[in-house]
Amino acid sequence: MLGFLLGETVRDLRRAGRVGVSAVFLITLSLAALGCFWLLSLNLGRAVAEWRERLRVIAYLKAEPPPEAVAPLLKRIEALGGIQRLRYVDKREALATLKRELGSQAGVVDQLPSNPLPASVEVTPARDAATPEATRALVQRLMELPEVEEVQGGTEWVERLAQWQRLLGGIGLGVGGVLALAAILTVTTATTLVLHVKRAEMEIMRLVGATEAVIRVPLLLQGLLQGLLGAVMALGSLWLAYTVALPRLEPLLTLTLGLQRASFLSPLEVVLLLGGGGLLGAFGGLLARGRGPA
Amino acid sequence: MVQLQRVGKVYRLGPVRIQALADVSFRVGKGEFAILTGPSGAGKTTLLRLLYREEVPSEGEIQVAGFDVTALRRAEVPMLRRAIGIVFQDAKLLPGRTAYENIAFGLRVLGVPRREITPRVFQALKAVGLSARAQALPAQLSLGEQQRVALARALAKEPALLLADEPTGSLDEAVSLEVLDLFHQIWQRGTTILLATHSRTLASQLKRRTLVLESGRLVKDEGG
Ligand SMILES: Nc1ncnc2c1ncn2[C@@H]1O[C@H](COP(=O)(O)OP(=O)(O)O)[C@@H](O)[C@H]1O
Ligand SMILES: [Mg+2]
Repeated sequence: MLGFLLGETVRDLRRAGRVGVSAVFLITLSLAALGCFWLLSLNLGRAVAEWRERLRVIAYLKAEPPPEAVAPLLKRIEALGGIQRLRYVDKREALATLKRELGSQAGVVDQLPSNPLPASVEVTPARDAATPEATRALVQRLMELPEVEEVQGGTEWVERLAQWQRLLGGIGLGVGGVLALAAILTVTTATTLVLHVKRAEMEIMRLVGATEAVIRVPLLLQGLLQGLLGAVMALGSLWLAYTVALPRLEPLLTLTLGLQRASFLSPLEVVLLLGGGGLLGAFGGLLARGRGPA
Repeated sequence: MVQLQRVGKVYRLGPVRIQALADVSFRVGKGEFAILTGPSGAGKTTLLRLLYREEVPSEGEIQVAGFDVTALRRAEVPMLRRAIGIVFQDAKLLPGRTAYENIAFGLRVLGVPRREITPRVFQALKAVGLSARAQALPAQLSLGEQQRVALARALAKEPALLLADEPTGSLDEAVSLEVLDLFHQIWQRGTTILLATHSRTLASQLKRRTLVLESGRLVKDEGG
Protein backbone atom coordinates (compact mmCIF):
# COMPACT_ATOMS: atom_id res chain seq x y z
CA MET A 1 0.00 0.00 0.00
CA LEU A 2 2.76 2.41 0.94
CA GLY A 3 4.54 1.61 -2.30
CA PHE A 4 1.34 2.30 -4.20
CA LEU A 5 0.75 5.63 -2.44
CA LEU A 6 4.33 6.78 -3.07
CA GLY A 7 4.18 5.67 -6.70
CA GLU A 8 0.98 7.63 -7.20
CA THR A 9 2.54 10.63 -5.46
CA VAL A 10 5.43 10.70 -7.92
CA ARG A 11 2.98 10.27 -10.80
CA ASP A 12 0.89 13.18 -9.47
CA LEU A 13 3.96 15.32 -9.02
CA ARG A 14 4.88 14.76 -12.67
CA ARG A 15 1.33 15.51 -13.71
CA ALA A 16 1.42 18.83 -11.84
CA GLY A 17 4.02 19.69 -14.50
CA ARG A 18 4.78 23.32 -15.17
CA VAL A 19 2.29 24.66 -12.65
CA GLY A 20 3.95 22.43 -10.06
CA VAL A 21 7.31 23.92 -10.98
CA SER A 22 6.00 27.48 -10.55
CA ALA A 23 4.50 26.45 -7.22
CA VAL A 24 7.91 25.22 -6.09
CA PHE A 25 9.48 28.49 -7.25
CA LEU A 26 6.91 30.59 -5.44
CA ILE A 27 7.48 28.66 -2.25
CA THR A 28 11.22 29.13 -2.73
CA LEU A 29 10.67 32.86 -3.19
CA SER A 30 8.36 33.29 -0.20
CA LEU A 31 10.55 31.32 2.17
CA ALA A 32 13.74 32.99 0.89
CA ALA A 33 12.19 36.42 1.49
CA LEU A 34 10.99 35.36 4.91
CA GLY A 35 14.36 33.81 5.73
CA CYS A 36 16.28 36.83 4.49
CA PHE A 37 14.40 39.29 6.69
CA TRP A 38 14.51 36.80 9.49
CA LEU A 39 18.30 36.56 9.18
CA LEU A 40 18.67 40.37 9.20
CA SER A 41 16.32 40.78 12.11
CA LEU A 42 18.08 38.00 13.98
CA ASN A 43 21.50 39.61 13.70
CA LEU A 44 20.16 43.06 14.46
CA GLY A 45 18.48 41.57 17.51
CA ARG A 46 21.78 40.17 18.69
CA ALA A 47 23.40 43.57 18.26
CA VAL A 48 20.63 45.21 20.26
CA ALA A 49 20.98 42.67 23.04
CA GLU A 50 24.72 43.16 23.14
CA TRP A 51 24.38 46.91 23.27
CA ARG A 52 21.79 46.73 26.00
CA GLU A 53 24.28 44.64 27.92
CA ARG A 54 27.03 47.20 27.44
CA LEU A 55 24.89 50.18 28.25
CA ARG A 56 26.20 52.41 31.04
CA VAL A 57 24.99 55.57 32.66
CA ILE A 58 27.82 57.57 34.20
CA ALA A 59 27.19 60.00 37.03
CA TYR A 60 30.09 62.50 37.44
CA LEU A 61 30.52 63.74 40.97
CA LYS A 62 31.08 67.39 41.97
CA ALA A 63 33.95 66.43 44.23
CA GLU A 64 35.78 63.29 45.16
CA PRO A 65 34.08 62.03 48.34
CA PRO A 66 36.24 60.99 51.29
CA PRO A 67 36.78 57.18 51.34
CA GLU A 68 34.32 56.59 54.19
CA ALA A 69 31.55 58.43 52.28
CA VAL A 70 31.77 56.23 49.17
CA ALA A 71 29.85 53.22 50.48
CA PRO A 72 26.87 55.25 51.82
CA LEU A 73 26.71 57.17 48.51
CA LEU A 74 26.62 53.92 46.50
CA LYS A 75 23.92 52.62 48.81
CA ARG A 76 21.79 55.69 48.20
CA ILE A 77 22.23 55.34 44.45
CA GLU A 78 21.35 51.67 44.59
CA ALA A 79 18.16 52.59 46.45
CA LEU A 80 17.02 54.51 43.35
CA GLY A 81 16.10 51.11 41.85
CA GLY A 82 16.35 49.62 38.38
CA ILE A 83 20.08 49.08 38.77
CA GLN A 84 22.04 45.94 37.98
CA ARG A 85 25.60 46.96 38.89
CA LEU A 86 27.44 49.95 40.37
CA ARG A 87 31.09 50.81 40.23
CA TYR A 88 32.81 53.73 41.85
CA VAL A 89 35.69 55.23 39.86
CA ASP A 90 37.93 57.62 41.76
CA LYS A 91 40.02 60.41 40.19
CA ARG A 92 43.18 58.25 40.12
CA GLU A 93 41.54 55.39 38.32
CA ALA A 94 39.93 57.77 35.82
CA LEU A 95 43.33 59.21 35.02
CA ALA A 96 44.90 55.76 34.72
CA THR A 97 42.20 54.70 32.30
CA LEU A 98 42.72 57.83 30.22
CA LYS A 99 46.45 57.15 30.10
CA ARG A 100 45.83 53.62 28.94
CA GLU A 101 43.54 54.86 26.22
CA LEU A 102 46.01 57.46 25.03
CA GLY A 103 48.76 54.83 24.76
CA SER A 104 51.95 56.34 23.32
CA GLN A 105 50.67 59.83 23.91
CA ALA A 106 50.16 59.20 27.63
CA GLY A 107 53.05 61.55 28.42
CA VAL A 108 50.73 64.51 27.82
CA VAL A 109 48.82 63.62 30.94
CA ASP A 110 51.95 63.81 33.07
CA GLN A 111 52.39 67.46 32.05
CA LEU A 112 49.12 68.37 33.79
CA PRO A 113 49.58 70.26 37.07
CA SER A 114 46.69 68.45 38.71
CA ASN A 115 44.20 65.64 37.89
CA PRO A 116 41.33 67.34 36.00
CA LEU A 117 39.15 64.24 35.82
CA PRO A 118 36.17 63.98 38.17
CA ALA A 119 35.35 60.93 40.22
CA SER A 120 32.30 59.08 38.91
CA VAL A 121 29.90 56.24 39.46
CA GLU A 122 29.25 53.82 36.57
CA VAL A 123 25.71 52.59 36.67
CA THR A 124 24.56 49.53 34.68
CA PRO A 125 20.77 49.55 34.45
CA ALA A 126 18.97 46.33 35.29
CA ARG A 127 18.19 44.34 32.14
CA ASP A 128 14.45 44.84 32.44
CA ALA A 129 14.93 48.54 33.07
CA ALA A 130 17.01 49.17 29.94
CA THR A 131 14.13 50.85 28.12
CA PRO A 132 14.40 54.50 27.06
CA GLU A 133 11.75 55.63 29.56
CA ALA A 134 13.28 53.75 32.50
CA THR A 135 16.76 55.02 31.61
CA ARG A 136 15.53 58.60 31.32
CA ALA A 137 13.91 58.27 34.72
CA LEU A 138 17.12 56.86 36.18
CA VAL A 139 19.14 59.75 34.73
CA GLN A 140 16.64 62.20 36.21
CA ARG A 141 16.91 60.66 39.67
CA LEU A 142 20.69 60.58 39.54
CA MET A 143 20.74 64.32 38.65
CA GLU A 144 18.72 65.06 41.73
CA LEU A 145 21.44 63.72 44.02
CA PRO A 146 23.36 66.67 45.56
CA GLU A 147 26.78 64.99 44.94
CA VAL A 148 26.14 64.61 41.24
CA GLU A 149 27.39 67.23 38.79
CA GLU A 150 26.39 65.72 35.47
CA VAL A 151 24.94 62.51 34.09
CA GLN A 152 25.88 60.97 30.76
CA GLY A 153 24.40 58.08 28.84
CA GLY A 154 21.19 57.03 27.27
CA THR A 155 19.54 54.40 25.21
CA GLU A 156 17.91 56.33 22.40
CA TRP A 157 19.96 54.98 19.55
CA VAL A 158 19.89 51.41 20.83
CA GLU A 159 16.13 51.72 20.87
CA ARG A 160 16.15 53.07 17.36
CA LEU A 161 18.11 49.95 16.38
CA ALA A 162 15.54 47.80 18.14
CA GLN A 163 12.79 49.59 16.22
CA TRP A 164 14.57 48.82 12.97
CA GLN A 165 14.79 45.22 14.02
CA ARG A 166 11.05 45.06 14.69
CA LEU A 167 10.33 46.84 11.42
CA LEU A 168 12.47 44.37 9.47
CA GLY A 169 10.78 41.46 11.21
CA GLY A 170 7.40 42.92 10.33
CA ILE A 171 8.32 43.52 6.69
CA GLY A 172 9.66 39.97 6.51
CA LEU A 173 6.45 38.54 7.87
CA GLY A 174 4.37 40.72 5.56
CA VAL A 175 6.28 40.02 2.36
CA GLY A 176 6.74 36.36 3.29
CA GLY A 177 3.06 36.07 4.17
CA VAL A 178 1.83 37.51 0.88
CA LEU A 179 4.20 35.30 -1.08
CA ALA A 180 3.21 32.29 1.03
CA LEU A 181 -0.43 32.94 0.18
CA ALA A 182 0.44 33.08 -3.50
CA ALA A 183 2.43 29.88 -3.05
CA ILE A 184 -0.49 28.06 -1.43
CA LEU A 185 -2.78 29.16 -4.25
CA THR A 186 -0.31 27.95 -6.85
CA VAL A 187 0.03 24.56 -5.16
CA THR A 188 -3.76 24.44 -5.09
CA THR A 189 -3.89 25.23 -8.79
CA ALA A 190 -1.27 22.59 -9.53
CA THR A 191 -3.19 20.05 -7.47
CA THR A 192 -6.50 20.96 -9.09
CA LEU A 193 -4.80 20.35 -12.41
CA VAL A 194 -3.67 16.95 -11.15
CA LEU A 195 -7.21 16.26 -9.96
CA HIS A 196 -8.48 17.10 -13.41
CA VAL A 197 -5.97 14.86 -15.15
CA LYS A 198 -6.61 11.96 -12.82
CA ARG A 199 -10.38 12.21 -12.56
CA ALA A 200 -10.80 9.00 -14.55
CA GLU A 201 -8.50 7.29 -12.12
CA MET A 202 -10.35 8.68 -9.12
CA GLU A 203 -13.64 7.51 -10.60
CA ILE A 204 -12.25 3.97 -10.84
CA MET A 205 -10.84 4.17 -7.32
CA ARG A 206 -14.22 5.19 -5.93
CA LEU A 207 -16.05 2.55 -7.95
CA VAL A 208 -13.92 -0.34 -6.77
CA GLY A 209 -14.16 0.85 -3.18
CA ALA A 210 -10.92 2.67 -2.35
CA THR A 211 -11.20 4.78 0.79
CA GLU A 212 -11.06 8.56 0.55
CA ALA A 213 -7.74 8.46 2.39
CA VAL A 214 -6.14 6.36 -0.34
CA ILE A 215 -7.51 8.77 -2.93
CA ARG A 216 -6.38 11.96 -1.14
CA VAL A 217 -3.03 10.97 0.39
CA PRO A 218 -1.02 11.06 -2.87
CA LEU A 219 -2.41 14.55 -3.57
CA LEU A 220 -1.47 15.70 -0.10
CA LEU A 221 1.99 14.19 -0.43
CA GLN A 222 2.68 15.75 -3.82
CA GLY A 223 1.74 19.15 -2.33
CA LEU A 224 3.96 18.48 0.66
CA LEU A 225 6.85 17.52 -1.60
CA GLN A 226 6.42 20.70 -3.65
CA GLY A 227 6.61 22.66 -0.39
CA LEU A 228 9.65 20.82 0.93
CA LEU A 229 11.45 21.19 -2.39
CA GLY A 230 10.77 24.93 -2.30
CA ALA A 231 12.01 25.19 1.29
CA VAL A 232 15.23 23.33 0.49
CA MET A 233 15.86 25.61 -2.46
CA ALA A 234 15.12 28.71 -0.34
CA LEU A 235 17.54 27.55 2.36
CA GLY A 236 20.15 26.74 -0.26
CA SER A 237 19.97 30.19 -1.82
CA LEU A 238 19.95 31.89 1.59
CA TRP A 239 23.04 29.95 2.61
CA LEU A 240 24.73 30.80 -0.67
CA ALA A 241 23.93 34.50 -0.30
CA TYR A 242 25.10 34.38 3.29
CA THR A 243 28.47 32.79 2.56
CA VAL A 244 29.13 35.00 -0.46
CA ALA A 245 28.12 38.26 1.20
CA LEU A 246 29.51 37.62 4.67
CA PRO A 247 33.26 38.26 4.14
CA ARG A 248 32.35 41.61 2.58
CA LEU A 249 29.81 42.54 5.22
CA GLU A 250 31.50 41.49 8.42
CA PRO A 251 33.94 44.42 8.76
CA LEU A 252 31.02 46.76 8.16
CA LEU A 253 29.00 44.98 10.81
CA THR A 254 31.76 45.34 13.34
CA LEU A 255 32.05 49.02 12.57
CA THR A 256 28.37 49.90 12.64
CA LEU A 257 26.75 47.39 14.94
CA GLY A 258 29.71 46.25 17.01
CA LEU A 259 28.96 42.65 16.11
CA GLN A 260 32.05 40.48 15.74
CA ARG A 261 30.31 37.78 13.74
CA ALA A 262 27.06 37.51 11.85
CA SER A 263 25.24 34.23 12.37
CA PHE A 264 23.06 32.03 10.17
CA LEU A 265 19.73 30.54 11.15
CA SER A 266 20.02 27.99 13.96
CA PRO A 267 19.28 24.31 13.23
CA LEU A 268 15.90 24.74 14.89
CA GLU A 269 15.09 27.71 12.69
CA VAL A 270 16.19 25.75 9.62
CA VAL A 271 13.85 22.92 10.62
CA LEU A 272 11.06 25.48 11.18
CA LEU A 273 11.59 26.90 7.70
CA LEU A 274 11.52 23.41 6.16
CA GLY A 275 8.41 22.55 8.15
CA GLY A 276 6.82 25.80 7.02
CA GLY A 277 7.48 24.89 3.39
CA GLY A 278 6.04 21.42 3.82
CA LEU A 279 3.00 22.86 5.55
CA LEU A 280 2.42 25.43 2.79
CA GLY A 281 2.55 22.68 0.17
CA ALA A 282 0.40 20.21 2.06
CA PHE A 283 -2.14 22.93 2.73
CA GLY A 284 -2.25 23.80 -0.96
CA GLY A 285 -2.72 20.12 -1.80
CA LEU A 286 -5.49 19.84 0.75
CA LEU A 287 -7.34 22.91 -0.51
CA ALA A 288 -7.67 21.54 -4.03
CA ARG A 289 -11.16 20.32 -4.74
CA GLY A 290 -12.12 18.45 -7.83
CA ARG A 291 -15.33 16.58 -8.19
CA GLY A 292 -15.87 15.17 -4.73
CA PRO A 293 -17.30 11.77 -3.86
CA ALA A 294 -20.93 11.20 -4.75
CA MET B 1 -28.11 -10.64 -2.17
CA VAL B 2 -30.19 -7.70 -3.46
CA GLN B 3 -33.45 -6.60 -1.94
CA LEU B 4 -35.55 -3.52 -2.66
CA GLN B 5 -38.68 -2.52 -0.78
CA ARG B 6 -40.94 0.16 -2.25
CA VAL B 7 -38.01 2.09 -3.61
CA GLY B 8 -38.62 5.45 -5.24
CA LYS B 9 -36.21 7.95 -6.71
CA VAL B 10 -37.00 11.52 -7.63
CA TYR B 11 -34.46 13.77 -9.35
CA ARG B 12 -34.93 17.45 -8.83
CA LEU B 13 -33.74 19.80 -11.53
CA GLY B 14 -34.64 23.13 -10.03
CA PRO B 15 -38.44 23.22 -9.94
CA VAL B 16 -38.76 20.10 -12.13
CA ARG B 17 -39.32 16.74 -10.44
CA ILE B 18 -38.40 13.65 -12.41
CA GLN B 19 -39.76 10.45 -10.99
CA ALA B 20 -37.09 8.02 -12.18
CA LEU B 21 -38.28 5.10 -10.04
CA ALA B 22 -41.55 4.50 -8.20
CA ASP B 23 -42.55 1.77 -5.80
CA VAL B 24 -40.00 -0.78 -6.97
CA SER B 25 -39.75 -3.98 -4.91
CA PHE B 26 -37.94 -7.18 -5.80
CA ARG B 27 -35.36 -9.59 -4.52
CA VAL B 28 -32.43 -11.25 -6.26
CA GLY B 29 -31.14 -14.29 -4.40
CA LYS B 30 -27.57 -15.39 -3.98
CA GLY B 31 -26.28 -17.10 -7.14
CA GLU B 32 -29.05 -15.73 -9.36
CA PHE B 33 -28.58 -14.22 -12.81
CA ALA B 34 -31.20 -11.53 -13.37
CA ILE B 35 -31.74 -9.26 -16.35
CA LEU B 36 -33.07 -5.74 -15.89
CA THR B 37 -34.68 -4.49 -19.06
CA GLY B 38 -37.00 -1.81 -20.36
CA PRO B 39 -36.90 1.07 -22.83
CA SER B 40 -34.40 3.86 -22.64
CA GLY B 41 -35.26 6.21 -19.78
CA ALA B 42 -37.12 3.52 -17.84
CA GLY B 43 -34.82 3.87 -14.83
CA LYS B 44 -32.39 0.94 -15.21
CA THR B 45 -29.23 2.97 -14.71
CA THR B 46 -30.79 4.81 -11.80
CA LEU B 47 -31.68 1.54 -10.14
CA LEU B 48 -28.14 0.18 -10.46
CA ARG B 49 -26.70 3.47 -9.15
CA LEU B 50 -28.88 3.11 -6.07
CA LEU B 51 -27.48 -0.37 -5.49
CA TYR B 52 -23.86 0.77 -5.34
CA ARG B 53 -24.77 3.96 -3.54
CA GLU B 54 -23.90 6.40 -6.26
CA GLU B 55 -27.38 7.80 -5.58
CA VAL B 56 -29.58 7.58 -2.51
CA PRO B 57 -33.25 6.59 -2.86
CA SER B 58 -35.95 9.16 -2.14
CA GLU B 59 -37.94 6.45 -0.40
CA GLY B 60 -37.82 2.76 0.39
CA GLU B 61 -35.25 0.33 1.69
CA ILE B 62 -32.32 -1.29 -0.12
CA GLN B 63 -30.17 -4.19 1.02
CA VAL B 64 -27.13 -5.32 -0.96
CA ALA B 65 -24.67 -8.06 0.00
CA GLY B 66 -25.58 -7.75 3.66
CA PHE B 67 -25.34 -3.94 3.72
CA ASP B 68 -28.28 -1.75 4.59
CA VAL B 69 -27.50 0.63 1.72
CA THR B 70 -29.99 3.31 2.75
CA ALA B 71 -28.47 3.61 6.22
CA LEU B 72 -24.84 3.50 5.07
CA ARG B 73 -22.68 6.39 6.18
CA ARG B 74 -20.40 7.97 3.60
CA ALA B 75 -17.27 6.48 5.16
CA GLU B 76 -18.80 3.01 4.87
CA VAL B 77 -19.54 3.25 1.15
CA PRO B 78 -16.11 1.82 0.16
CA MET B 79 -16.96 -1.35 2.12
CA LEU B 80 -20.12 -1.83 0.05
CA ARG B 81 -18.28 -1.12 -3.20
CA ARG B 82 -15.68 -3.76 -2.40
CA ALA B 83 -18.39 -6.39 -2.40
CA ILE B 84 -19.65 -5.30 -5.82
CA GLY B 85 -18.07 -5.55 -9.27
CA ILE B 86 -19.37 -3.01 -11.78
CA VAL B 87 -19.07 -2.77 -15.56
CA PHE B 88 -20.52 -0.13 -17.85
CA GLN B 89 -21.16 0.41 -21.53
CA ASP B 90 -17.73 2.00 -21.84
CA ALA B 91 -14.86 0.05 -20.36
CA LYS B 92 -13.44 3.01 -18.37
CA LEU B 93 -9.87 1.76 -18.76
CA LEU B 94 -6.99 4.06 -17.89
CA PRO B 95 -5.38 4.85 -21.26
CA GLY B 96 -1.79 5.05 -20.03
CA ARG B 97 -1.78 1.61 -18.43
CA THR B 98 -1.68 -1.88 -19.90
CA ALA B 99 -4.48 -4.40 -19.47
CA TYR B 100 -2.49 -5.99 -16.67
CA GLU B 101 -1.88 -2.65 -14.93
CA ASN B 102 -5.52 -1.62 -15.27
CA ILE B 103 -6.64 -4.75 -13.46
CA ALA B 104 -3.82 -4.53 -10.90
CA PHE B 105 -4.72 -0.87 -10.22
CA GLY B 106 -8.18 -1.93 -9.05
CA LEU B 107 -6.56 -4.25 -6.54
CA ARG B 108 -3.73 -2.02 -5.38
CA VAL B 109 -6.04 0.81 -4.37
CA LEU B 110 -7.78 -1.68 -2.09
CA GLY B 111 -4.53 -2.53 -0.35
CA VAL B 112 -4.29 -6.07 -1.71
CA PRO B 113 -0.77 -7.34 -0.90
CA ARG B 114 1.65 -7.19 -3.82
CA ARG B 115 2.36 -10.92 -3.99
CA GLU B 116 -1.36 -11.67 -4.30
CA ILE B 117 -1.89 -9.22 -7.12
CA THR B 118 -0.07 -10.98 -9.98
CA PRO B 119 -1.82 -14.35 -9.56
CA ARG B 120 -5.19 -12.69 -9.17
CA VAL B 121 -4.73 -10.48 -12.23
CA PHE B 122 -3.72 -13.44 -14.39
CA GLN B 123 -6.59 -15.51 -13.08
CA ALA B 124 -9.00 -12.73 -14.01
CA LEU B 125 -7.41 -12.33 -17.44
CA LYS B 126 -7.74 -16.06 -17.99
CA ALA B 127 -11.38 -15.98 -16.96
CA VAL B 128 -12.10 -13.49 -19.75
CA GLY B 129 -9.80 -15.25 -22.22
CA LEU B 130 -7.27 -12.45 -22.54
CA SER B 131 -4.13 -13.96 -20.95
CA ALA B 132 -2.15 -13.27 -24.13
CA ARG B 133 -3.03 -9.54 -24.17
CA ALA B 134 -1.84 -8.66 -20.66
CA GLN B 135 0.74 -6.16 -21.89
CA ALA B 136 -1.47 -4.42 -24.44
CA LEU B 137 -2.56 -0.81 -23.92
CA PRO B 138 -6.30 -0.09 -24.19
CA ALA B 139 -5.79 1.65 -27.55
CA GLN B 140 -4.30 -1.57 -28.91
CA LEU B 141 -7.37 -3.59 -27.92
CA SER B 142 -10.68 -3.95 -29.75
CA LEU B 143 -13.81 -2.65 -28.02
CA GLY B 144 -14.80 -6.21 -27.12
CA GLU B 145 -11.36 -6.88 -25.65
CA GLN B 146 -11.52 -3.61 -23.70
CA GLN B 147 -14.87 -4.62 -22.27
CA ARG B 148 -13.38 -7.96 -21.27
CA VAL B 149 -10.51 -6.21 -19.44
CA ALA B 150 -13.11 -4.15 -17.59
CA LEU B 151 -14.89 -7.35 -16.69
CA ALA B 152 -11.61 -8.87 -15.50
CA ARG B 153 -10.99 -5.78 -13.35
CA ALA B 154 -14.41 -6.21 -11.76
CA LEU B 155 -13.81 -9.93 -11.21
CA ALA B 156 -10.29 -9.67 -9.81
CA LYS B 157 -11.58 -8.42 -6.48
CA GLU B 158 -13.83 -11.50 -6.29
CA PRO B 159 -17.12 -9.66 -5.80
CA ALA B 160 -20.19 -11.36 -4.42
CA LEU B 161 -22.34 -9.35 -6.83
CA LEU B 162 -21.64 -8.25 -10.39
CA LEU B 163 -23.60 -5.27 -11.76
CA ALA B 164 -23.54 -4.54 -15.48
CA ASP B 165 -25.12 -1.48 -17.12
CA GLU B 166 -25.53 -2.02 -20.89
CA PRO B 167 -22.23 -3.94 -21.05
CA THR B 168 -22.75 -4.75 -24.73
CA GLY B 169 -24.07 -1.33 -25.68
CA SER B 170 -21.03 -0.42 -27.77
CA LEU B 171 -20.44 -3.86 -29.28
CA ASP B 172 -21.69 -5.44 -32.50
CA GLU B 173 -23.88 -8.48 -32.24
CA ALA B 174 -21.25 -11.22 -32.58
CA VAL B 175 -18.97 -9.64 -29.97
CA SER B 176 -21.98 -8.97 -27.73
CA LEU B 177 -22.78 -12.65 -27.71
CA GLU B 178 -19.19 -13.49 -26.77
CA VAL B 179 -19.29 -11.08 -23.86
CA LEU B 180 -22.69 -12.37 -22.73
CA ASP B 181 -21.26 -15.87 -22.86
CA LEU B 182 -18.54 -14.70 -20.47
CA PHE B 183 -21.18 -13.40 -18.06
CA HIS B 184 -22.79 -16.80 -18.25
CA GLN B 185 -19.53 -18.53 -17.36
CA ILE B 186 -18.91 -16.14 -14.48
CA TRP B 187 -22.41 -16.81 -13.18
CA GLN B 188 -21.82 -20.55 -13.40
CA ARG B 189 -18.79 -20.17 -11.16
CA GLY B 190 -21.04 -18.71 -8.46
CA THR B 191 -21.22 -14.91 -8.87
CA THR B 192 -24.62 -13.25 -8.53
CA ILE B 193 -25.30 -11.04 -11.56
CA LEU B 194 -27.71 -8.20 -12.29
CA LEU B 195 -27.39 -7.06 -15.91
CA ALA B 196 -29.24 -4.08 -17.35
CA THR B 197 -29.97 -3.83 -21.06
CA HIS B 198 -32.57 -1.99 -23.11
CA SER B 199 -32.40 -4.69 -25.78
CA ARG B 200 -35.30 -7.12 -25.47
CA THR B 201 -33.68 -9.51 -27.95
CA LEU B 202 -30.56 -9.75 -25.81
CA ALA B 203 -32.68 -10.22 -22.73
CA SER B 204 -34.65 -13.03 -24.30
CA GLN B 205 -31.51 -14.69 -25.69
CA LEU B 206 -30.11 -15.06 -22.19
CA LYS B 207 -33.15 -17.05 -21.06
CA ARG B 208 -32.89 -15.93 -17.45
CA ARG B 209 -35.14 -14.18 -14.99
CA THR B 210 -36.12 -10.84 -16.47
CA LEU B 211 -37.30 -7.76 -14.59
CA VAL B 212 -38.99 -5.24 -16.84
CA LEU B 213 -39.07 -1.53 -15.94
CA GLU B 214 -41.34 0.97 -17.62
CA SER B 215 -41.39 4.65 -16.66
CA GLY B 216 -39.78 3.81 -13.35
CA ARG B 217 -42.16 1.02 -12.40
CA LEU B 218 -41.53 -2.70 -12.29
CA VAL B 219 -44.14 -4.07 -14.70
CA LYS B 220 -42.97 -7.64 -15.19
CA ASP B 221 -40.85 -10.20 -13.37
CA GLU B 222 -40.70 -13.43 -15.31
CA GLY B 223 -38.63 -16.54 -15.91
CA GLY B 224 -35.61 -17.61 -13.89
N1 LIG C 1 -28.72 12.73 -12.72
C1 LIG C 1 -29.96 12.88 -13.19
N2 LIG C 1 -30.62 14.04 -13.00
C2 LIG C 1 -31.87 14.20 -13.45
N3 LIG C 1 -32.57 13.27 -14.10
C3 LIG C 1 -31.98 12.09 -14.32
C4 LIG C 1 -30.65 11.84 -13.87
N4 LIG C 1 -30.33 10.57 -14.24
C5 LIG C 1 -31.40 10.07 -14.86
N5 LIG C 1 -32.39 10.97 -14.91
C6 LIG C 1 -33.74 10.74 -15.49
O1 LIG C 1 -34.29 9.61 -14.85
C7 LIG C 1 -34.97 8.81 -15.79
C8 LIG C 1 -34.37 7.41 -15.81
O2 LIG C 1 -33.09 7.47 -16.39
P1 LIG C 1 -32.11 6.23 -16.42
O3 LIG C 1 -32.07 5.63 -15.09
O4 LIG C 1 -30.83 6.68 -17.02
O5 LIG C 1 -32.86 5.26 -17.43
P2 LIG C 1 -32.28 4.08 -18.31
O6 LIG C 1 -30.95 3.69 -17.79
O7 LIG C 1 -33.30 3.01 -18.17
O8 LIG C 1 -32.21 4.59 -19.71
C9 LIG C 1 -34.87 9.53 -17.13
O9 LIG C 1 -36.06 10.29 -17.30
C10 LIG C 1 -33.67 10.42 -16.95
O10 LIG C 1 -33.81 11.56 -17.74
MG1 LIG D 1 -29.08 3.53 -18.76
